[in-house]
Amino acid sequence: MRDRTLINLIVFGAILLLVLNLPLPVAGRLKALTRDTLAPLQKAVSGFSRQARESLKLLRGVGGLIEENRKQAEEVARLRIRVGDLQALEAENLQLRELLRFRQKEARALMACEVVGRDVSGWWSMLRLDKGARDGLQPDLAVITAEGLIGRITNVSARTSDVLLISDPNCRISAFVERSGAFGIVSGCGPAAQGLPVCRMEFIDKSRKNPVAEGDEVVTSGLGGVFSQGLPIGKLEHVHTNASGLYLEADVVLRADLGALDNVFIVADRVQPPPRSPEDEGP
Amino acid sequence: MTQLVLIFALLTGVVLQAVLPPTWAWLGAAPAPILLGIVLYVALAHSQLRMLGCALAAGLLQDALGQIPLGYSSFGFCLAGLAAHRFQDEVFEHAGVTHAVFGAAAGGLVTLVLYGLLGKDGSIGLSPVWAVKKIAGAALLGALVTPVECWLLARLELRLGSRPQEER
Repeated sequence: MRDRTLINLIVFGAILLLVLNLPLPVAGRLKALTRDTLAPLQKAVSGFSRQARESLKLLRGVGGLIEENRKQAEEVARLRIRVGDLQALEAENLQLRELLRFRQKEARALMACEVVGRDVSGWWSMLRLDKGARDGLQPDLAVITAEGLIGRITNVSARTSDVLLISDPNCRISAFVERSGAFGIVSGCGPAAQGLPVCRMEFIDKSRKNPVAEGDEVVTSGLGGVFSQGLPIGKLEHVHTNASGLYLEADVVLRADLGALDNVFIVADRVQPPPRSPEDEGP
Repeated sequence: MTQLVLIFALLTGVVLQAVLPPTWAWLGAAPAPILLGIVLYVALAHSQLRMLGCALAAGLLQDALGQIPLGYSSFGFCLAGLAAHRFQDEVFEHAGVTHAVFGAAAGGLVTLVLYGLLGKDGSIGLSPVWAVKKIAGAALLGALVTPVECWLLARLELRLGSRPQEER
């Protein structure tokens, strides 16, 4: 009995050592294979849980639906007027650009994705999306919601991709303050605590004529080549001088709610066309 | 416990663990340790060989669906499983209190082991305060989740006839 226990331990210890020492590409392929195999099951379960949540919300909010409907109608009317104004401005802008021979800015291409899971271990602030390399996705694409930037793609398998959220300490983004034009680095402060900011902007130039202030909007700077310029991130709060006294730093209250993400968009500026399968090609 | 029930439990566990939203900040956003609960059930109610197989598979599934290097969670799960199996003959293996105590201890232990391994690699940038919150959170969630899981798994085994009636 004792011998058998010892043999079990030796065999499992050897297997574990083998797994721990797998070369990175092999481990990566194994992980991608597992993710792709479980992706349909994960999508089905997350879809079911989303529907259950929405049904519950509907049941709870039946009384408030009329009021919400009225508010939405008002918002639509307000937005229609705003779109009309913006169309006139766009036409004027185009005319001026033509006069000055500026290059046309291309409209941002967006790809809608569903969130099918989060980091299983809880050590990282991550999301898993239902689209991957098959859809042309690749690492380092920006992921946004209607409110603003939420993170970037880190790993891609054939059917899924992982998004490192902006709240993760490993996520660092070059950003600038729109009003003053001051540059800085936005980094995550770990998982969101209720009522506390989840990001911080560091290394903000202190000596500018137009200093940064609380409430200023922060957007991506486009430097570093990962994010395109002008993606909204959030607003500054608690601006103060850092410990060295050389720079300013501030908390960033994110525009997007990272705790309630069901659907997100990938800024598909650099999306590769998906590889064509032999069946797609004609005779 | 048949292999089929074990595979079903592990697959359901890993998908649930991935789909469930993160817990509160004061718990260090620790996830509900569903896979660890399955390992503990097997450790307390089945043979060492089966427990080791279950711990290895559960760890590999958790690592494959997350960012942890392959094998780290398996190592933590095997440690927790071996410790629980060691006491198999000395505790009431089907009592809720036993599951809660083992769930809390194993949740804290595995989180501590992973924090050590990931911190040594430099793959996480979490402060020690967060780690303490996470360890406490994992222990609390383990104490809450493990008894429920063990009860469900025991019922499932009884229903499928893979557990003898006298064990009831």
